[in-house]
Amino acid sequence: MIAIKKGSCFKRLLVMAGAAVIGGVAFLYSGLYSMGADDPHYDVTTWALETLRESSIVRASQDIEVPSDLSSAERLLKGGADYNDMCAGCHLKPGKSQSDFTLGLYPSPPNLAVISRLDENETSIDQRNFWIIKHGIKASGMPAWAPGHDDTRIWNMVSFLKRLPDLTPAQYQILTARGKSDVVHH
Amino acid sequence: MKKKQLGLLLAVPGLMLAISAQAHSDKEHMGKAENPDCAAMSTMDHSKMDMKDPVVMAMMQQCMSTMQHGSTEAESKAHGEQMTNTGKAGDHMQAPSQ
Repeated sequence: MIAIKKGSCFKRLLVMAGAAVIGGVAFLYSGLYSMGADDPHYDVTTWALETLRESSIVRASQDIEVPSDLSSAERLLKGGADYNDMCAGCHLKPGKSQSDFTLGLYPSPPNLAVISRLDENETSIDQRNFWIIKHGIKASGMPAWAPGHDDTRIWNMVSFLKRLPDLTPAQYQILTARGKSDVVHH
Repeated sequence: MKKKQLGLLLAVPGLMLAISAQAHSDKEHMGKAENPDCAAMSTMDHSKMDMKDPVVMAMMQQCMSTMQHGSTEAESKAHGEQMTNTGKAGDHMQAPSQ
């Protein structure tokens, strides 16, 4: 008697699972879900995606070895110039609070000129930044910079990111300029 | 004939790879390179600057030529004034080129 009940219960669960799968596939093909970047996710979707992203990055970056000379002036200069060319359009710079990319991208790129993760472990922040720059983040607008940029160059950008929130617009300009300093010859 | 085709098949992707590898080289950005505004350094409060701070060191490095030029200019100016005062400026100073 109990065996018969267990069997019918299992069948019901199987039918429900099948119905859920068919319903899910039907939803995917229905086109009902809005994919517009100007139409935000539900809170639960945002939570799920952010949790997935953060957990994945922590796991993937935890064994990355951080160079000991990350705070050198040379790295700052090299990383600053690359940041200005490759990142500032989306992640901004001192004195700038928005751009077309920060207004239009979803999720909106973080403003790295003001974010300071003082509450977190410094090594894990460096590992995290390196991994994100190197590998990018799926479906976020953040590209993987590994093709065409070696690890040294990426570490230089990580070095610059560490000091970016402290910089004034004038300091930022000097550190990120690729050209030679203006010397007026008479 | 086959060797030629094989060579071509290897050369084209090789060339594409080389071009893509250069896509983000430092030199590519030099054309639109902005010059550092080293004049802004003179408005900064130097007494609050920590000379061992990598940010300050990096700024000094960026503006080295301007600062050296500035100090040379100041020295020559002082030297010029000294010469003018002693009435010998014309013996030593060159006319500024335009």
